[in-house]
Amino acid sequence: MKIPQKVLFLEAKNFLLGRTVLIGAIALLLFGCYGFYHGSQVIGHQQQTIASVPTVQQAHLQEIAEHGAGKPAGSTAYYPFFYTTNPASPWAGFSIGQRDVNPFSLKVKMLAIEGQLYDSELTNPLTLLVGNLDAAFVFIFLFPLLIIAFTYNALSEEQENGVWKIVRTTTGSIGAAIGGKLLVRFGMILAATLLLFALAVISLGLPLTAPTFQLLAIVLLYAIFWFSLSVLVVALGKNSAFNATTLVCVWIFLCILFPGVANIAVNRSVPVPEAAETAIRQREGYHAKWDEPKQPTMEKFYAVYPQYRRYPIPDDRYSPGWYYAMQFSGDLESAYSSEKLFGKLQQRQTLSERIAGFNPVIAAQQSLNKVANTDLTSHIRYLESVKAHHRQVREYFYPFIFENTPTEDVNWAGYPAYRPNAYVNETIGGGAMAIAVWAVLSVVASLLLFKRNFIQIKDIQNA
Amino acid sequence: MHFSFIKTIARQEWHSVFRSKIPLALFAVLLVVSLLAVFTGWQYVHNFNRQQQAAHQEVHDQWMNQPNRHPHRVAHYGYMVFREKSPLSFFDFGLDSYVGNSVFLEAHRQNTVNMSEAGFSNGMLRFGELSMAMVMQLLVPLFIIFIGFQTVAGLKQNGVLKILLCQRASYLDVLLGKTAGLTAVTWVLFVPFLVLSLVAGTVITSGGFSADAALRIALIVGLYALYFLVITVMVVGVSAVSKSGKNALMTLVLVWMLFFIVLPKSAQTLGSSLYEAPDKIAFEQAILADVSKEGDSHNPDDPHFASLKAATLKRYGVDSISQLPVNYGALVMQEGENITSAIFNQHFDRLISTYQSQNAVSSLLSFADPYLSIRNLSMNLSGTDFDTFTAFQKQTEQYRFEKTKSLNEIHLTQIKFKDDNKQKVSAQNWQEQPDFVFRPVSVAYNLAAGAYSLAALLAWVAGGFGALAYVSSKRRFQL
Repeated sequence: MKIPQKVLFLEAKNFLLGRTVLIGAIALLLFGCYGFYHGSQVIGHQQQTIASVPTVQQAHLQEIAEHGAGKPAGSTAYYPFFYTTNPASPWAGFSIGQRDVNPFSLKVKMLAIEGQLYDSELTNPLTLLVGNLDAAFVFIFLFPLLIIAFTYNALSEEQENGVWKIVRTTTGSIGAAIGGKLLVRFGMILAATLLLFALAVISLGLPLTAPTFQLLAIVLLYAIFWFSLSVLVVALGKNSAFNATTLVCVWIFLCILFPGVANIAVNRSVPVPEAAETAIRQREGYHAKWDEPKQPTMEKFYAVYPQYRRYPIPDDRYSPGWYYAMQFSGDLESAYSSEKLFGKLQQRQTLSERIAGFNPVIAAQQSLNKVANTDLTSHIRYLESVKAHHRQVREYFYPFIFENTPTEDVNWAGYPAYRPNAYVNETIGGGAMAIAVWAVLSVVASLLLFKRNFIQIKDIQNA
Repeated sequence: MHFSFIKTIARQEWHSVFRSKIPLALFAVLLVVSLLAVFTGWQYVHNFNRQQQAAHQEVHDQWMNQPNRHPHRVAHYGYMVFREKSPLSFFDFGLDSYVGNSVFLEAHRQNTVNMSEAGFSNGMLRFGELSMAMVMQLLVPLFIIFIGFQTVAGLKQNGVLKILLCQRASYLDVLLGKTAGLTAVTWVLFVPFLVLSLVAGTVITSGGFSADAALRIALIVGLYALYFLVITVMVVGVSAVSKSGKNALMTLVLVWMLFFIVLPKSAQTLGSSLYEAPDKIAFEQAILADVSKEGDSHNPDDPHFASLKAATLKRYGVDSISQLPVNYGALVMQEGENITSAIFNQHFDRLISTYQSQNAVSSLLSFADPYLSIRNLSMNLSGTDFDTFTAFQKQTEQYRFEKTKSLNEIHLTQIKFKDDNKQKVSAQNWQEQPDFVFRPVSVAYNLAAGAYSLAALLAWVAGGFGALAYVSSKRRFQL
């Protein structure tokens, strides 16, 4: 199929001079720029808060230590908070994902951990409901609309204007003519994608490393999917109004209805009553110990920390060692439901990835969040790191508590520093594959339809 | 205006919609989607509330079955409150999935309401939740667009408009007739369905029917009917100014995108950048700074607590704490609680008013986007709005304060100062405390909170008809 250069050039000129195309492209560009700005604002704000944490932590510990002067470490240890943070990856501004819903900084005391993991960040719930207008939103929700606007009338307009018949009789190959028209539009879409993405890279300061190219790959694949879907509708050979309506309906179905139903399906098949259960169990597990004999509580503690057996725990009065052993056993008793909760959240993730195989929109969104490390899995990794840090802190202070060290003799800032999770480069092959498969399927279907509806058509004379 | 013409045109429009198969097919799709939404909504709210009740029962039993304890131990044992969904939340999920569902109440600590569904979601939720309100707010307008875009533009294209206008009918009669016909279609298709599912849903999810629920349902149905009218007027208006049905459709779909996707998001992000709210660390640091200014109960030389001590000794006419007939420790504890609670509430109120200012941007933009107005009103009346959640937060904090206060009271009077922490009091003391009962926001308050949105919706109705009158007066729109 050879396409004459002249036809391509003419088509490009005609296309670019169209008013709708220009308005659509400019509108998208503006929204894109606002999206980039918004993304960098939200994440920048979070990073600012995270940057303030060391100072807050230092001042806080110093104050606690000063207050506790003259008292044993065991009683002072009740007060300090230890801050942890979940720094944003450089790509988080591109796809904010769940980072606005989930806390990016948690503080824990040495007390039982389970009750402290689910503290929410302070946010306006209406802002959460409406969601972010970030780069991911622009590419996933708005960009397809531009693709639809670019493509829906590719052939129908020519038919409606009566030009199509002339084209068909004068051109050597109808296939080449159609190919040429679509190629021009495809070129424009690719150019728009690359331009918008380049703007995102510059304004969000994305590093030119593998994850950025992963984002680009997803965005490109996704654009190709929508283009091929639009071509599929064009290949049906109906009029412009039908094409536009159908494509908008498909857009609504894929972007709103399908995910809405999928969300219900996920929540119903993997409910998480464990969330409340964990909190209730831990509270009871710890508090009941006050009224029980001390030895059984201590035995649970010694099973994990046998080295503290040599310190006496008086049975008739309060002692800090026993207090922290109680806290620890509260965690032990809720450990099972806590593990189950994390397991279920993982199940939800797996299930929605499976569902995403049927919907490129979900697949694209999930892949972008994965690359940006802003999805639920990343948050669970953060919670696990908080648990690990809590353990480090406890273990650092246990010797001081059991040995009754005076507060002033303890190095309060000497505990092992919290080390935030490093960036995890997750594979996005599954998501990319899902989008690609759907794109290929639509291309194949549209080729067949073109053949049937346009190329092998027998003209009824004088119709 | 000729009512007979308007009536004829309306009747004709009504028949033409029902003659064609496409509107009915679209309606069938919408019906299936909303039935699915309303059914899952019922089930969800029902199960959720049952789960919350079970958790509440468990916590309440644990509270009642506590052994004899020292009251301060009980204050730290604390209580958990679980948020139940409002009876009408099956219709409009509103903010429900984005706010927490349980809060731990304990002495000296104001906790946030934690464990929202969004926190346990992997982002699919962010595409939007399928609720009946979503169908009515987003998809019904699209339905009206699809059945109505041709309505006047079609008349122009096939030349019928000229014939109509020659027969004494004014252009305004045509537009009003078309509006009346289309409105009748949407009302007949959706209003009875709304009434039926709202009434049935309320009975199923809350097991009864109250005057409050009836009022809310009546208001919801009335406001949605107005909303459909606004959309219909808009569709007819756009159709009237368009040269062809195709142009009208394109414009309307664009307007839909703008009103339903782009503007709401922009409005909210604009609101949050105009009124910046503190994040949690900054919020807590500000409270701590204020508390440390007020006085430190742990410091014996603190001026605030030193004067409290002097005043107490003087009041009882004794010269040392150990001679007091009440437990001085409990007195100090309650004083600390009073201080921190007042400071917390002050900061919290400020935070809430910042959020309210952010949300007011969306309310004001209702005048530019009718979807925002129905969204806000629908949430308000369904009890899934910002104010209802804030009321929950404030009431739990109030409850926490009262509970702690009464425990400190027990500590004050029943525990002796000497060997304080070795004593216990009878469990009956806390068994007598009242349980937490959420008092929902009244309809009047909800409507007052939605005043802008309500005004905007009414302005849209008036403005819509005004626009029709204007369009009909211009000759260029008749061609």
